Amino acid sequence: MDLLQVIVSGLLLGGVYALLAAGLNLIFGVMRVINLAHGELLMLGAYATFFFYDTTGLNPLLAIPLVAAAMFAGGMVLQRLTIERVVGQPLLSSLLLTFGLSTLLTGVALNLWTTNFRSVVYEPLTGSLGIGGLSISRSRLVAFAIALVVSGATYVFLRRSTWGKAIRATAQHAEVAQVCGIDVGRVRLVSFGLGSAMAATAGSLVAIVFTFNPEIGRVFIGKAFAIIVLGGLGSFVGAFLGALTLGVTETLAAYYTSTQLSEAVAYAVMVGVLLVRPSGFFGQAES
Amino acid sequence: MAADGAQAQSVQTQSAAAPPANGAPLLELRDVDASYGKVQILHAASLAIHPGEVVSIIGPNGAGKSTVLKAVMGILRPTTGQILFDGQSITGLRPDQIVRRGIGYVPQGRIVFRDMTVAENLEMGAFTIADKGRVRPLMDRVFTVFPRLGERRTQRAGTMSGGEQQMLAMGRVLMSEPRVVLMDEPSLGLAPRFIELVFEKIGELKEAGMTLLLVEQNAAKSLSISDRGYVLELGRNRFTGSGPDLLADDRVRRLYLGG
Repeated sequence: MDLLQVIVSGLLLGGVYALLAAGLNLIFGVMRVINLAHGELLMLGAYATFFFYDTTGLNPLLAIPLVAAAMFAGGMVLQRLTIERVVGQPLLSSLLLTFGLSTLLTGVALNLWTTNFRSVVYEPLTGSLGIGGLSISRSRLVAFAIALVVSGATYVFLRRSTWGKAIRATAQHAEVAQVCGIDVGRVRLVSFGLGSAMAATAGSLVAIVFTFNPEIGRVFIGKAFAIIVLGGLGSFVGAFLGALTLGVTETLAAYYTSTQLSEAVAYAVMVGVLLVRPSGFFGQAES
Repeated sequence: MAADGAQAQSVQTQSAAAPPANGAPLLELRDVDASYGKVQILHAASLAIHPGEVVSIIGPNGAGKSTVLKAVMGILRPTTGQILFDGQSITGLRPDQIVRRGIGYVPQGRIVFRDMTVAENLEMGAFTIADKGRVRPLMDRVFTVFPRLGERRTQRAGTMSGGEQQMLAMGRVLMSEPRVVLMDEPSLGLAPRFIELVFEKIGELKEAGMTLLLVEQNAAKSLSISDRGYVLELGRNRFTGSGPDLLADDRVRRLYLGG
């Protein structure tokens, strides 16, 4: 029974990871930019949710659409001012740029909000539910449900809508997308906004489930990389399965060894997969 | 470009070689220079296509044939010179803006969106069509031109043969209802039966009144279905004339038609 409990708990955790990784994947797919500042976008989402709750006292879940909208806009500004300039440049340029952004955002956040850990404790979201003999954390369950809905909606948007298809077309072949009449500059702008909003939503959920400080971005980007390595770069479904796998693996490690060690699990998984199957386990080789 | 003052030689002066008398060209390049980095590819290239014409650009490798098309599409910006579509300058516009003006482009190498279905590829071709209700009828029309695509509408484009992918690329360009279509080496690297098919389809489009600008290494085949042709050499206009005249011209035959 313990094992099942741990696995369920890990799956719930994986939902939040999936949201983060999906945004990172989207940005990479469209721009060929690995956004090392993605974890900091999550961190900003977490703080925004914290301050919303701290000032209004309202249900922190209400902050999610507001934070997502703000980060969608903020992400687009960031894209236009910085990221757009390294599109088509060697990978090192974008890595250095986003590494710089990551460090800058962390530094500013540390200065403003200190290293103190925060969390959003909203009474109705605390405690556990007993379901079929399992004890399930209410906040984790809610976070998982929201992550699932947002990931699912994004997936359907990319599969079915004309704009979603234009994003996929741009990811597959930007030059041909352009001669189909697609404004690929605008696609990049919107995709970065969307990826940022997804990271921020993951941040809102992190604020509800965990404690956080300005340095958590680095922890989460590591997890996102492990997930993408597991799932195969560019594969939406692969990343989702990878996220659930990581969630379970981490939770198992924390339960059977120690919490400190579970932090290292993401990296161990990443290195292991790269050695055994560099194209990932779930993503089919996409062109 | 003073050095390029010598204009292209006209191969014959028959009236057939002259553009149709009915007024202004649909697409025109005027003394276009274009470079990749520091290497200048086009030197005062000039050409004109009139409505309903099929025009071929031929010439040896490195003549800048594909570059002409890329310059028209805005993929490569001319350093000097002008490109006019329907009398208006399109020089310096982005590719997507140029597509919206009514110019379609089939890039070299039968490039399709591999992870998308045939129908989704065609839908992307209709991206500029504002009235989405028209996408279905347009798609059905493409399926009558290319029945094979209709049979495979739900198949992933990446799993089709090279020839089928070229059909899809050609079908995709029709979805935007272009007024002129530019095709870059449509028969390149295809199996012989598909080469026949590509030229057959180009012939059908011509019959339907489509204005076409072709770049082909298969010069003989290309000229035989063209109203006019331009021979480009090292980015400069060399010869120009009607398709049949160029085919019959000794110099052109010796230099570019391998005979």
